[in-house]
Amino acid sequence: MSSNEVPSKPKGSLTGWLILAGSALGVFALGLLGSTILERREEASIGRLTLKQPINQWESDSSKWGVSFPREYDTWKATLASNTETEFGGSIQKDYLAHDPRLVVLWAGYGFAKGYNSPRGHMHAVEDVNATPRINEKTPATCWTCKSPDVPRVMARDGVSQYYANKFSHYKEDIKNPIGCADCHNEKTMALQISRPALKEALERQGRDIAKITHQEMRSLVCAQCHVEYYFKGKKENYLTFPWDKGLTAEAMADYYKNSTHTDWVHSISGAKMIKMQHPDYEVFQQGIHAARGVSCADCHMPYKQEGGVKFTDHQVQSPLTNVANSCQVCHRWGEDKIKERVLGMQRKHQEMLIESENALVSLHLSIGEAKAKGATDEELAKPRELVSLAQMYWDYVSANNGMGFHAPQETARVLAKSISIANEGRLVLAGVRAKYGLPPTAPAVDISTKEKAQEYIKPYVKAQADKKAAEEKAAAEAAKT
Amino acid sequence: MACFAAIGVFAGSGLYVARISNATSYLSDEPEACINCHIMKPYYASWQHSSHARVATCNDCHVPHESTFAKYAYKAKDGMRHSTIFTLRMEPQVLRATTEAQHVIQNNCMRCHGNLLSEVNGFRGHQPDRQCIECHRETPHGRTTSLSSTPNTLTPPLKKVGIGGFKNPENKENK
Repeated sequence: MSSNEVPSKPKGSLTGWLILAGSALGVFALGLLGSTILERREEASIGRLTLKQPINQWESDSSKWGVSFPREYDTWKATLASNTETEFGGSIQKDYLAHDPRLVVLWAGYGFAKGYNSPRGHMHAVEDVNATPRINEKTPATCWTCKSPDVPRVMARDGVSQYYANKFSHYKEDIKNPIGCADCHNEKTMALQISRPALKEALERQGRDIAKITHQEMRSLVCAQCHVEYYFKGKKENYLTFPWDKGLTAEAMADYYKNSTHTDWVHSISGAKMIKMQHPDYEVFQQGIHAARGVSCADCHMPYKQEGGVKFTDHQVQSPLTNVANSCQVCHRWGEDKIKERVLGMQRKHQEMLIESENALVSLHLSIGEAKAKGATDEELAKPRELVSLAQMYWDYVSANNGMGFHAPQETARVLAKSISIANEGRLVLAGVRAKYGLPPTAPAVDISTKEKAQEYIKPYVKAQADKKAAEEKAAAEAAKT
Repeated sequence: MACFAAIGVFAGSGLYVARISNATSYLSDEPEACINCHIMKPYYASWQHSSHARVATCNDCHVPHESTFAKYAYKAKDGMRHSTIFTLRMEPQVLRATTEAQHVIQNNCMRCHGNLLSEVNGFRGHQPDRQCIECHRETPHGRTTSLSSTPNTLTPPLKKVGIGGFKNPENKENK
């Protein structure tokens, strides 16, 4: 061996190392591929999970359910994220009053004129109800009803009527958990069930047998425990009631309220007795094409998902616009852009009609208020007040919806057309009264271009109304003494 | 020496992967090859219950038939895409045909139903620039399709790949 051959030795060993590294990498990659194939084969045979530990009755802590249902629990926790925004909805909280200050005038004298934000995910329910300026010391416990799975437990403990009759503040210590598993599921079988009496009672009054309701309908009805129009029956009882006895349409509800003595508040400017519609999402959805085809709320807002071999329901309840692929494309074979374009097209047109209706209503409230200030009597203003109240109820039936015009586009357009036409009828009747007092047909427009300006504008009216009410109460108290 | 050993290890692992992945089945036209991946089960199930199940297999619609070369080139390309996405767990919940795949499917509709179209062309909205599936969208796979549309469907089981698989009579029956 001569010293000349020495340099070739490292060269040979480098090739060796390269072969070693190359084959190691290659075998590693192949092994990895092999194990994913085996994993995937395994997935195909995974069945449904069973309860890993029993769940107590009224278990309101969703994490206890999450032990056995990690996928459902994880997606439910995702409702905590407030990060999606669609043109009209989404989970990022919006200040509706700042977005559209007309609302302040429409709700003058009512809590909604103080604050009204867009809703956030289910996990924010308790936090958000505590934060709203609409809650005060007089607020009844009824307002908790839709916010927490702790509610059925305290209802069972205190009795349903007694629960409603108590004050909101009474349950601050009892109610801690946001909307979760127990609100919709049976703790033993996981079957969907109605946990709130108001829906059960409304269905029973309609003559429905709850035991005969199918699973597919339950996938909407569990939502209808809360996403509906409701009112608190009785000044002291505050008994949560759905005005469904005559049907679910705007007309059927108007008819229902006409036959009841219930009013939500008296409008500070016009003096009309008003009904505030809550969010009749379920009722409006029932009148659309999707409901007619047997689609449930969960089909679009909680679409099925496959993870490995397991099918489950995505519990991150959200706008389908943020999840078009899983929600819409299961049935609609168009591209995502095309689907979004169709939906937003409907919602934009809907928004236009809403604003038309709001303008008519604001003008009518102001015009009645001005006539009243000029000396028009309650008798003269009775008809215009009745009409503004009805027109606003129709508008609110649509406006309070979280579907933003998508759930039943033709039906909501029809109701808005009616709202506008009733408001105009009110304007015509009022024009005669106003003429008597030397006023032009409508009151001049006022600057309500921002939330602050609008709130400033209604302030004296709200104060005058509150002062009058306080004086009346004082007089009544004194009269009772003597 | 080392080189041969490395190639040997590589070849052996390759054979193993070929076996557990049921690789040879992909050369066939058997629909069961497509449900080697459970992702395709809902599509297998909806096909199996459709009118097409009696006359057409997956490949009849989903791969080109102009020539054997075109068929296997497409199979190789599409298979690579599918296996990549499947391995990386990037599959969407609702599968949608790519533009290229739509083209292949449309050509295959025409391959069998071309005569029919010549009779109705121009009638009742039948236009050559529209795809058959735009209207007949429920024909091949039903009204709703997604990975979870038929979760508990009964489909033929996968072949056993361990030692037992070599002498398992079920494997032969499946074939």
